[in-house]
Amino acid sequence: MSAARRWGLWVLVAGLFLAHFVLHVGLGLGRGAPDFLTIALLLVSREVGVGTAAAVGFAFGLVEDALSVLAFGANTVAMTAVGIAGAYTRGLFVGDSKLFVVSYFFAGKWMRDFVHWVMVGNELRQGFWDQVMVQGMIGAFYAAVVGVVLVALFGQSREA
Amino acid sequence: MLLALSTPYFSQSAQQDVALTLQATVLRPFISTQERLAESRIRAQPIDRLQAQLDSMIEVSATRSVLADENRRLRELLGLSERAGPRLLPATVLRPGTPGSESMFLVDVGGDDGVREGAPVLSAHGLVGKIREVRPRSAVGMDWTYPDFRVSAMLADGSAFGIVENVRGAFREADRLMLNGTPYHETVPEGVLVVTSGLGGIYPRGIPVGTIAGTAEVQGQWLKSYWLRPAVEPGSVTHVLVETAADGADLSSLFPSDSVSLGEEGADRAPEP
Repeated sequence: MSAARRWGLWVLVAGLFLAHFVLHVGLGLGRGAPDFLTIALLLVSREVGVGTAAAVGFAFGLVEDALSVLAFGANTVAMTAVGIAGAYTRGLFVGDSKLFVVSYFFAGKWMRDFVHWVMVGNELRQGFWDQVMVQGMIGAFYAAVVGVVLVALFGQSREA
Repeated sequence: MLLALSTPYFSQSAQQDVALTLQATVLRPFISTQERLAESRIRAQPIDRLQAQLDSMIEVSATRSVLADENRRLRELLGLSERAGPRLLPATVLRPGTPGSESMFLVDVGGDDGVREGAPVLSAHGLVGKIREVRPRSAVGMDWTYPDFRVSAMLADGSAFGIVENVRGAFREADRLMLNGTPYHETVPEGVLVVTSGLGGIYPRGIPVGTIAGTAEVQGQWLKSYWLRPAVEPGSVTHVLVETAADGADLSSLFPSDSVSLGEEGADRAPEP
């Protein structure tokens, strides 16, 4: 990856980080806004090593956990796991076809919600069907659409 | 990954330190933005002018005006606050909107203002929840949708006592309140007001919790449980009052029967048949 492309990637990630918290915390949009933080993590995980992806996921998750007093650590674990898994997909899946990009963002976001659901603890955990299958799938689809648009706009896809 | 897996097992104080540090640094601009937005909504027009306009514009505002709706809530809170005096502190509610924070909220008053841990949080219609963590200028609260929510309650006329608890629904918006442990021989008709009993020492007596909305279950021939229609829908609350006194006073005089309308805030969460 060229230096310019690397810088562009980190600027994009920083922008998505800001957008996520402006929309979710600043404007209080909640689920109405896409999960830009997971999208940013999935974007960066395809371009960096496992260690860096895990560190970015850890940092992102910890910041989200600062606002979820009742389930501290659940976001950190979920985002770290997604970062590691995202980095490993580089070795497993070569190429950035449209189908792969859609599947990658969908699976990544769904995995994030699933791990969070597992880690959140019995007292806060909602039903699997509602939380993971229904809301998780909707959130994953939303992230996939936004992720594909971002990849297309910012030229992150090697195909583009 | 190991470090991430260890974070849920950090001590409570370590978790609070990390959360507080991040809230005061990285997240401060975003939290401030929400605070400023909330304040700007309140200060969009002088309250007196809005109050004067509200009566003449009620027909229009009842259906469409967010600003007038905000004003009505503030007037209700103002009325409650005036009746209660300095023991109730007005505060703006901020909701983080991030995963895992569904039952919690932030209020813009804290220890410097006299807020204490466990302090009840009220709206003009009744009980919202309680304060869980206190910081110098803000506090973290939990509303009644928190799974461990429990409050000792009684019928408004004092004829039966029980425990109100949160019952998880199939999905979050279907969470409901249930009055448990009332005597079997006591049949409570629908619509009867349930208020806090003051037992247990956390919530003062007389705060509306909800109204009876039907029988939930009968345990043998000893106890009955009832579904409640909540007095307050936490998601719609934008302004609250936090109690600063811990003298166990009876607050029932603050909620005259005509003010305990469950119209807008509590009507949406109807119990399952």
